[in-house]
Amino acid sequence: MATLNLGATVGEQLRAQGVSRRGFMKFCSTMASVMALAPAFAPRIAAALDKAKRPSVIWLPFQECTGCTESLTRSHAPTIESLIFDAISLDYQETLQAAAGHQAEEARQRAMQANWGEYFLAVDGSIPLANKGYSTIGGVSNVDLLHQVAKGAKAIIAIGSCASFGGLPKASPNPTGAVAVSDLIKDKPIINISGCPPIPIAITGVLAQVLTFGQMPELDHYGRPKAFFGQTIHDRCYRRPFYERGQFAETFDDEGAKQGWCLFKLGCKGPVTYNSCPTTKWNMGVSFPIESGHGCIGCSEPDFWDWQGVYRPLSTTRWGGYRALGVAAAAGVAVGAVAALAARRKQRPVGEDKT
Amino acid sequence: MSATIANLDALRTALPALGQRVGRSTRTDDERLARARAVMLGELDASHATYLETCLHCGMCAHACHFYIGTNEAKYTPIYKVEPLKKVYQREIGPMRWLRRLVVSDISLSELEDWQPLVYDACTECGRCDLMCPMGIQISPMIGIMRRALAAADLLPAELAGAADEQKTLGSVLGAGRAEILSLARELETAGVHVPLDLATADVVVLTSAVDIKAYANSFKATAKILNRLKLKWTLLSNSIELLGTGESLKELHVRRIVEEVVRHEAKTLLLPECGHAYPALRFDSAHMIGEPLPFAVLSIAEFVGREIMADRLKVKRAPAMGPVTYHDPCKLGRHGGVFEEPRAAIKALGLELKEMESHGRTNYCCGGGGGQFMIARGAQLRHRAFEIKMREVDDTGAGTVLTACNSCRLNYQNGASESNWQKSVQSIIELVGANLAD
Amino acid sequence: MTILEFARGPAFQAALWIFAFGVCWRLAGVFLMYRRFDRSKPRRHHLVAGGLRAIVMRSLPPHELEKRIVFQHVSGYAWHLTFFISLLFFAPHLPFFKQFLGFGWPTLPNTIALLSGAIALAILLALLWRRATVPVLRQISSLDDYLSIVLVILPLATGFMQYARVLPFGMRYETLLGVHILTICALMVWFPFGKLMHLFLAFPARFQAGALLERKGVEA
Repeated sequence: MATLNLGATVGEQLRAQGVSRRGFMKFCSTMASVMALAPAFAPRIAAALDKAKRPSVIWLPFQECTGCTESLTRSHAPTIESLIFDAISLDYQETLQAAAGHQAEEARQRAMQANWGEYFLAVDGSIPLANKGYSTIGGVSNVDLLHQVAKGAKAIIAIGSCASFGGLPKASPNPTGAVAVSDLIKDKPIINISGCPPIPIAITGVLAQVLTFGQMPELDHYGRPKAFFGQTIHDRCYRRPFYERGQFAETFDDEGAKQGWCLFKLGCKGPVTYNSCPTTKWNMGVSFPIESGHGCIGCSEPDFWDWQGVYRPLSTTRWGGYRALGVAAAAGVAVGAVAALAARRKQRPVGEDKT
Repeated sequence: MSATIANLDALRTALPALGQRVGRSTRTDDERLARARAVMLGELDASHATYLETCLHCGMCAHACHFYIGTNEAKYTPIYKVEPLKKVYQREIGPMRWLRRLVVSDISLSELEDWQPLVYDACTECGRCDLMCPMGIQISPMIGIMRRALAAADLLPAELAGAADEQKTLGSVLGAGRAEILSLARELETAGVHVPLDLATADVVVLTSAVDIKAYANSFKATAKILNRLKLKWTLLSNSIELLGTGESLKELHVRRIVEEVVRHEAKTLLLPECGHAYPALRFDSAHMIGEPLPFAVLSIAEFVGREIMADRLKVKRAPAMGPVTYHDPCKLGRHGGVFEEPRAAIKALGLELKEMESHGRTNYCCGGGGGQFMIARGAQLRHRAFEIKMREVDDTGAGTVLTACNSCRLNYQNGASESNWQKSVQSIIELVGANLAD
Repeated sequence: MTILEFARGPAFQAALWIFAFGVCWRLAGVFLMYRRFDRSKPRRHHLVAGGLRAIVMRSLPPHELEKRIVFQHVSGYAWHLTFFISLLFFAPHLPFFKQFLGFGWPTLPNTIALLSGAIALAILLALLWRRATVPVLRQISSLDDYLSIVLVILPLATGFMQYARVLPFGMRYETLLGVHILTICALMVWFPFGKLMHLFLAFPARFQAGALLERKGVEA
């Protein structure tokens, strides 16, 4: 893709795009606050970004639904998040790029060679292993392409739950043999930005952090940046007082639902889901699923599709149903009956002459 | 013929001789253990299984047992007394025996030897623990099984083994047999009390007991007077005497014989003397032994007399003043028999002031000497500890006289009183009624 | 599979089947055993009523027999009551019961349910200490007694730790939730084989006692 190369550094690029200094500082303040840094850091971020060489980013889409890209780029007006795309040099992005076919692939190769060891690899979608032909780009399978491009990458950003953990394709019975990026690449730093889709500002915040500080952000046990995935939905949910008071919606249309009560009984997985939905929200801070009346489905957690049901409350379990239970009980009765009847043979009253 | 220190002494001195009657067992250890096990397996049924599976090991039963309360020794916890029975149950017939065998050890003869003092010296089968258990476990019947199992393994305490042997070989108990019954009947006739002896048929058959004959003949005398006053067609059988609850293994044989005699005499009622053991044995256990409900009614003499008084068929006059009295509910009559009201009706009719003990009626404390415990010489200290509880409760009522309807209890009270120099009078309700019949 | 998924999935499944199998085994094995039929004439005749009455009466406040062990009686019932309040009326537990029964019931605010659970836990710890120190209890206690009480303490304790975010060994919240469910699985697996069966057996045992005492004419 022929990038609109208006400047070598991030700062130059933004200015060339017509972003005012004020707008730029506002962006940096937002980044500071999102990363839970003091306001005094905003100028530091600005200074860093100003001078930062626009990093090359190669974005590979694998077995994905394009939802992650949509989430990031969906905007009816230019948003602060989308500015980051102007700050980086997005040298390959199938949805957004103008080029196609061989030209696109050649552009990618050139960008890789020019920035070998320095470019960032962004991946969305899972990688199918059951049959290499299930997902290809230009005749090259996902798994081969990943290994090729990852070799020269400085770091890999797995965008969305599919790339981070396997996502929807991996849901039982996983017919394509889908796996996550981290299952295949073991020798490069990987940042997982999970979510289905992920929150836009999580991406931009991570990129900003990497660019500002030149190091990997602090990651949690699943390789997700703690700044955005450090707390559970439950801990920040505005409906928490209703949970504590024992006020729950029992159906989606009852009085409790209308009153905005806790959605635990309707299957909300907030207590075990790490993300920043209740704080940063979606669609420029308009709302998030719980606020709109639907329980959290746990989309930023591994294998959430196999969690026994979106509407099954967290405190339910797999139990096999009445028939299986009946069989277990009947088997018990049978064994008990055998035990009792066999015992009867031993329970013979003793004759009268006992002394 | 009333109980005197001499009579009590005579009884007491007879015990060591009894203890010498039976020597060491001639059976092998394995045989003895097998016999015990056979008794346990033969008697355990679904009701015991339910109890043994439900025990929580809460230990509350200990706080119902006068032997525990008197000594604070944990080994006297009632449910602990059936531990060997529980092990046999768990290993042999319990539903999970295939698993339990892996963790529960088998019983051994030495274990049964260790349990002998627990179930004989330290238990009178009084049944107080049965009322205490939060799970409703009836512990005393299971201790009964333990006792019969030990008896089969030749582990009866010496005195009880001797008594059982005397019954088996001589047909008498503590020297009381047919000859003594005949002699008693003759003495009473001489004293002007008619005793219809060995009638062919009668409406009421009356039994007397070894304790009555040896120590409390006045009790039978009063019985005869009352029955004559009521103009009942009654008879005393010289070949039927109620055993002390010693030779438990012979109980069934003996009960059957009595039942046969009553049936043979076409009697509708069997009256039992003021004796503890006889009542549950004949009133409730007998039906199982003969395989069908009894064709006649079984009543304790105190129960019978009380009913006659309550129905106004028997009239009594006020007894001579004796200050406040208290009533000791014999375990076998009260807790195991359900006889509470009738003796009290008699007391009331006699115009006596009744002051109940703190533990009375179904919660009454055992006198400590029942179940043959009285006969076990080495159990004297334990018995005394239990009796101290009774003395305290009687003292707290302020009563000067203890009335009772069981001569085993009476014997134990008098023995205990003489040992402790306790200045209370102990009397029989039947004797009081017999002495105060309205003119 | 995470610990939480394992606990909610195959672990609970297996535990439930073992529970059902074991309970039925033990109950059938006891009730189908030979039972002696009592042919004696009862003094009072309402044996079934007597049996049912005993089920209730033995739970009543301490009676005159129990004046020496009022603490044990009261604490025994208090811990059961507070435990069942926190088990049955803590709102997050309701969907668990509803999945089997098909219906639910009103719940209590978390603070009350948790307070109840805290009291239950405190009483249990006191009773555990008591069992290890009082001579009568030491005499008659077996592995089953200690194991049963520990297996009931664990769900209560892990439940509290979850709520208070006391996370041992660097565990995450969802792992502790999984552990909480696993402690319940352990309880269910042990249940049929130990004295916890008194949940079911207390009723027939008390019934038997009541019927027998009614037959004798004695108040149960």
